Amino acid sequence: MLYSPKRTLKRLERPTPDRPDGAWSALGVGEKLSLVAVAVTVLVALVGPALMPYSAIIPSGEQLLPPLSPGHVLGTDVLGMDMATRLVAGMQRSLFAAVVVTLISAAIGTLIGVVAGFKGGWLDSALMRFTDLFLAFPAMIIAMAIAAAIGQSLGSAMVGIIVVWWPLYARLVRGEVRRAAALPHVQAARVAGVGGWKLLWRHVVPAVTPTVVVTASLDIGAVVMTLAALSFIGLGTPAPAPELGRMASDGMKYFLNAWWVAVLPSLAIGLLAFVFNYAGDALRVMLRRTGV
Amino acid sequence: MAEPIVLTVSDLTVTYRGRGRVVTAVQDVSLSIAAGRCLGLVGESGSGKSTIGAAVQGIIAADGSAHATGRISIAGRDLTPITDPAWAQVRGRDVTSVFQDPMRSLDPTMTIGRMLNRYTGSAEASVAALERVQIRRAGEVLKKYPHQLSGGMRQRVMIALALAPQPRLLVADEPTTALDVSVQAEVLSVLRESIEGAGCAVLFVTHDLGVARHMCDDIAVMKDGLVVETGAADDVIARPEDAYTQRLMASRITLTTDRMRPVGAPEPAVVASMRDVLADQGRPGDDVADAWGAGDLEWERFMGRTAAVGAATGLSDVRLVEHVTRPSLAVNEVDKTYWSRVKGRKVGNHVLKNVSFEIGYREAVALVGESGSGKSTLLRIAAGIENPDSGSVDSQGVAGEGTQVIFQDAGASLTPWRTVEELLRERIEHTTTGAGMSRAQMRALALSTLELVGLDESVLAARPTQLSGGQQQRVAIARAVVVPPSVLLCDEPTSALDVSVACSVLNLINLLRHSLGISVMFVTHDLAAARLIADRVLVMTGGEIVETVGAERLAQDITTDYGRRLVDAVLA
Repeated sequence: MLYSPKRTLKRLERPTPDRPDGAWSALGVGEKLSLVAVAVTVLVALVGPALMPYSAIIPSGEQLLPPLSPGHVLGTDVLGMDMATRLVAGMQRSLFAAVVVTLISAAIGTLIGVVAGFKGGWLDSALMRFTDLFLAFPAMIIAMAIAAAIGQSLGSAMVGIIVVWWPLYARLVRGEVRRAAALPHVQAARVAGVGGWKLLWRHVVPAVTPTVVVTASLDIGAVVMTLAALSFIGLGTPAPAPELGRMASDGMKYFLNAWWVAVLPSLAIGLLAFVFNYAGDALRVMLRRTGV
Repeated sequence: MAEPIVLTVSDLTVTYRGRGRVVTAVQDVSLSIAAGRCLGLVGESGSGKSTIGAAVQGIIAADGSAHATGRISIAGRDLTPITDPAWAQVRGRDVTSVFQDPMRSLDPTMTIGRMLNRYTGSAEASVAALERVQIRRAGEVLKKYPHQLSGGMRQRVMIALALAPQPRLLVADEPTTALDVSVQAEVLSVLRESIEGAGCAVLFVTHDLGVARHMCDDIAVMKDGLVVETGAADDVIARPEDAYTQRLMASRITLTTDRMRPVGAPEPAVVASMRDVLADQGRPGDDVADAWGAGDLEWERFMGRTAAVGAATGLSDVRLVEHVTRPSLAVNEVDKTYWSRVKGRKVGNHVLKNVSFEIGYREAVALVGESGSGKSTLLRIAAGIENPDSGSVDSQGVAGEGTQVIFQDAGASLTPWRTVEELLRERIEHTTTGAGMSRAQMRALALSTLELVGLDESVLAARPTQLSGGQQQRVAIARAVVVPPSVLLCDEPTSALDVSVACSVLNLINLLRHSLGISVMFVTHDLAAARLIADRVLVMTGGEIVETVGAERLAQDITTDYGRRLVDAVLA
């Protein structure tokens, strides 16, 4: 009998080719719109202030001009500063602060959560009780105390929010790591000999990443709101710097005869929060699509 | 005696529209069932059988994701395949259902009595309804909530609930698949008797031809959305005409299946693996498909170590070791208790009681037992995933490295974001064999192992999510044997698979076992599969090994109660 080379004998099975439709095409129309909205918002916040003809902190027209006035599309405030300019500048500030706060909170919380969830035992207990300590206090009060203690500035408001924000990530990530570590594929990898940090990094953490990313994107909206709330009660950026919460609070005094001074900044806050919340869901769909 | 036709389905076509893709689940299916008859809809996953089940229950949602043409007529009433308001008059009255998982389909907030009384009207009638499904002490059961009952009891309650409104048509969708094997037979006979008493038409959806023969008068075999064969149950089973039905029948394994030869019809992928093995041993293998088809291909022929793996592991002379005294796996007096807190008190669950056994070199042992018998814990301890409270496990056999596991859900056991190459390399890296290997050497070893399990080079770069269920199972097997272990532990590797895929997995395990000379511990509750792989079968109950039986005459030799029930559960 002839010995045939095995290549010619083989009728092997191949994997189904990569889905031609990537993560983007997995999205519905609304979800695509939400991502476009985020892109537009970020773009406006980034380059908007530079394109505006006026300064955000120097009066440029008559006081309390209503929206659609010539030269001032969204009117002016009580000092005669252009509302549109201040709103765009305020969005830039809020967005920057919110992104920084969210990233730092997520980083601290993820680190502590991963260690606690993966190591378990006394380290887990110690880290989680430490986390509970921060969770036990009302967030706004701590943030106010910190902002009040180290002085009134955007930076101190951000520090205050980070201090109360990271425990949420620590909790979330610890739970997710514990869940992921119990998944069959982690056990299978353990049986194959993978252990320690390699196991954590290759087989556990990728299962946790989507949750953290989606939560963070949803949180950007919430942090914008919290920052605005702190500013609203006078603990954020000092005047006259354009800060949306501060603008809303200052505008309240003129609410009855100049509604736009308070309402427009509030709408801008709402817009930021809404756009990021909405995009969080799209992000969830995209990440799920990529196989986690 | 011509009974009136209760269900007529004509020219039913159902397509699902996913994100950008259209899938035809059912195509031009027509069928009818007369009162008092039971039609079995048999097919593997994706054949469209459940879609038909859903259509005749009026539960295909009208949310635009499904599109259907054709007509359904139930007890003289014309209905649309996609649900609409007219269905509200039919569902739960003329058509009722028994679903796969009774825990999820019974309302957890209601007592059994409250659910039943809605249909029967009185507690006495409810007791009678429960007695009809052979529930003893029905009065007590009425006061219980679903979670207080066992799986078999819950499914009986489900049957009682489904028959209480005196439906014209009962749809049973895999009603015993989620139950422990040993109670499946009982529940099926309860169902059989109840529907005979009720006189309604029954659409019985199942993947199991044996169950279908046991339950049904007629059978319709489905594949890829089409009905490929219909007829009286006995005719279809005894004289299948369609090639697919024949293959399905050939894939069925029973307690009398020949253990010495591959099961089922010759399969290209397994045949390719066989030729690969023979080629590596320097022997011709052109005739294996024919020999298999003719029924004279014996596993004996593949005995010996393949050259590629042998060279890689440096163990090519192992087959010369004829008198091996050292067992591949020795489990010595292993004891394990799980502790939990119930109302502040520590409660122990003694899952393993001083268990000892050995698996010899090249031997295959099956461990059978019901859920909770401790067999899975024993496997996890043998695999080193868990530690025993006392006792020891020794897996330093004469050949191979440590233990490897093939898990029940192969898809879930492969990390979804790692490529197949990365997954295989991880195993190689962490063995003494692979310690000094370069990337290229590991790749070559991974590739030759993939070919051994009938997979192509292109699988190396794929992620598990891109593979079919059968392919995933083979990748899992490849990872387990890429560096041959001393013992291969198999945790119900076939119970989640379609019969034809299960068949090829069993063939593959047998092929690898013979060609690589590895020992196997096979944990299962399917006695037929256990017998096919194992030389010896250990029966476990309550954390102890209660019986050891040779595989060949398993059905005759097994004596324990639980063992006998397992034998009965294998419907021939």
